[in-house]
Amino acid sequence: MKKLGSGNIAFSLAILYLLILGAAAVTAPLISPRSPTAQDLSRRFAPPGRDFPLGSDDFGRDILSRIIHGSRSALLVGIVSVAIATTIGMAAGLLAALSPGAVDNVVMLVMDSLLSFPTVLLAITVVSFLGYGLLQVMIAIGVIYSPTFARIVRAEALVIKTEEYVEASRSLGSPMLKVVFRHIVPNLLGKVIVQASVTFALAVVVEASLSYLGLGMQPPAPSWGLMLKDARNYLVQAPWLALYPGLVLAFTVLCFNVIGDTLSERLNPKVR
Amino acid sequence: MKRTAWIVAALLAALLALPGAALLAKDKVLNFALSGNPDTLDPHKTAGTLTFQTLKSIYDTLVEADQKEKIVPALAESWTISPDSLTWIFKLRAGVVFHNGEPLTARDVKATFERVKAKETASPKASEFAAIASTAAPDDATVVITLSKPFAPFLGVLASGWAAILPKSLIDSGNDFATKPVGTGPFALKEFTRDSRIVLVKNTNYWMKDLPKLDQVVMNIIPERAVQVQGLMAGAIDAVEFVDTEDIKVLQASADVQIDKSLSALILVMAMNCTNPVLSNAKVRQAVNYAIDKQKVLDVAYGGGKVIGTFMDADNAYYQDYTGLYPYNPEKAKSLLREAGVTADTSFEMVLPSNYDMHVKAGQLYQEMLTKVGLNVKIKLVDWPTWLSDAYTNAKYDFTVVGHTGKLDPDGTLGNYGNKSRYVRWDNPVCLSFITRAAGITDFKTRKRLYDQALEIMAREVPFMYLGSSYRYKAYRKNVSEYRMTPKLDTFDFRWTDVK
Repeated sequence: MKKLGSGNIAFSLAILYLLILGAAAVTAPLISPRSPTAQDLSRRFAPPGRDFPLGSDDFGRDILSRIIHGSRSALLVGIVSVAIATTIGMAAGLLAALSPGAVDNVVMLVMDSLLSFPTVLLAITVVSFLGYGLLQVMIAIGVIYSPTFARIVRAEALVIKTEEYVEASRSLGSPMLKVVFRHIVPNLLGKVIVQASVTFALAVVVEASLSYLGLGMQPPAPSWGLMLKDARNYLVQAPWLALYPGLVLAFTVLCFNVIGDTLSERLNPKVR
Repeated sequence: MKRTAWIVAALLAALLALPGAALLAKDKVLNFALSGNPDTLDPHKTAGTLTFQTLKSIYDTLVEADQKEKIVPALAESWTISPDSLTWIFKLRAGVVFHNGEPLTARDVKATFERVKAKETASPKASEFAAIASTAAPDDATVVITLSKPFAPFLGVLASGWAAILPKSLIDSGNDFATKPVGTGPFALKEFTRDSRIVLVKNTNYWMKDLPKLDQVVMNIIPERAVQVQGLMAGAIDAVEFVDTEDIKVLQASADVQIDKSLSALILVMAMNCTNPVLSNAKVRQAVNYAIDKQKVLDVAYGGGKVIGTFMDADNAYYQDYTGLYPYNPEKAKSLLREAGVTADTSFEMVLPSNYDMHVKAGQLYQEMLTKVGLNVKIKLVDWPTWLSDAYTNAKYDFTVVGHTGKLDPDGTLGNYGNKSRYVRWDNPVCLSFITRAAGITDFKTRKRLYDQALEIMAREVPFMYLGSSYRYKAYRKNVSEYRMTPKLDTFDFRWTDVK
């Protein structure tokens, strides 16, 4: 009981943090003290202070403004790529679970082979085929994380398919599609949501990684990964360049993971 | 019981290893940090400065430039030139041997130049050897080179890394020099592990007496500058290729590190693609030159340097000062763009080589400055091979940022500009004719007059935004002595280098 209580506090804090981050992303141009790309070459590497709350970078750009604007691409990449991963994964998972063995085998073989590649390597491959940029990154991440969804959905759908209420509905003559959307999908959504929150965190990290490698957002666009890339040469001289975007990135990932954990505990009858 | 046996075995092994380690410690090893992989180890199939920085230690050339840029004998002991400057007779040094033990003969030199010129070699520097009509080897120690026309840059070409001499026997047997280089150089290749390190060991039969002083040079491939700097301070690295100004403050705090500052022979530019319909207008290109605060970009992105106004490095004997022609003046840039009818609706793509931090940084500064005068410029990062094929070879860019390494002869720098084949795709037959004519003249004053005119056209027509020549900060630990660079070519010369 006590454990659940502390989990609740962490859960609430995580939700609160993400709400603030989401609000910051939506209102970025209004709340940023400066333009995220405006250079002030006379004030490069200004430490955190009155003019630059979190300091300025190697071009004299305001780090706070860049973090705020960077949250837009981070969250956008998270939302869109999770949506892509969920759509592909659910379609593949349902198809595999409800089709005859041969189709099931082929679909899951494709999904498993995707799963066998290291994430960032696969992302680099996809991006080098589609070109650099935000959209390409979102598609890459979406494709990479779809197999996890497919596996979960297939496993759940195989169980739900044999439940009595599904068989009853089928025997009453409901068309397959209706059964799928009325009975099967609602019952596996819980698991999918848990996976989505974890994937969201991973997507934010992959976006930052790709940008760090120079394959994602193109400069001077504000992106946390790009900020970290710029900062790596100045770790000793101006640690604030890496510190703040790094912290924000770490917190964001942590919060999504806390939410994922809490949800999976609550939705799992065995733990409850 | 078994465990005890293991421990005893380990102790024994450690004891046995000790004398070996002590012997190794006597070897003089220089741990060097290189920022990237050489693309090949074949001197005739590359144009990359980074590559020649490694090759300089493996191969030799007939002649070479000394620290004062004077061309001095190397594999050739002496040479004579016929009065019409068409026949060059080189006497080879006696007792020079290749790493595989074969002695150097005139036949090797002949085979080498025939290889460079051969179509199937596809050397990017082949055009510099085009003036060679024939090479003959009348005896083992004599090479006779006949030129088809007087070619003033010839000695400069022969002293450059791309004129490295290879053994005839291995050329004939089709040896893969890209991975198995064999030369007469001060060091021989022992190991090349991509993305990790290049190990060079001393050539004990080197033709210079008592040189090289080092037993081994280990070139550690470390792309991250911060890692190089930390390695230098910790002592894991003895010397680095170059350091950024931002790192100097950190390095100065270390009592063990020495920093030397010099002006490089780099020609830093932002190239403009003259086949772009908007950029084909010289007025627009002039506006771009007016829009850039050159000194600021040099200071922020390249660690300071001297601003230039034409396509020649600032310290070159042929340099002409045209910096007053299009000084920093954003208002003037705006009015020129208005006259040319360029608005923010036209968008330009700036292609940047992502492996060069300083060029990427400069590109971001340029973008901001160009935006301020009303141009719409988008940045696209590409890796180095893509940059070479798309931007440099096929001119798929509007703006791009790069630095041209210095050359021993101005013809190497200017060769062919004005011809549409160069990556700026700038078409100017008048400029080209001055450059071509100058290559055939040996008299410095006459030659300079021709180059002056070419450089003036380039300064006025601005196919580039000429930025400047940057300072080079060489950093090494104080136990290292004689860490030399070849002038202009920016390659390292480790022959005299020593470690204490």
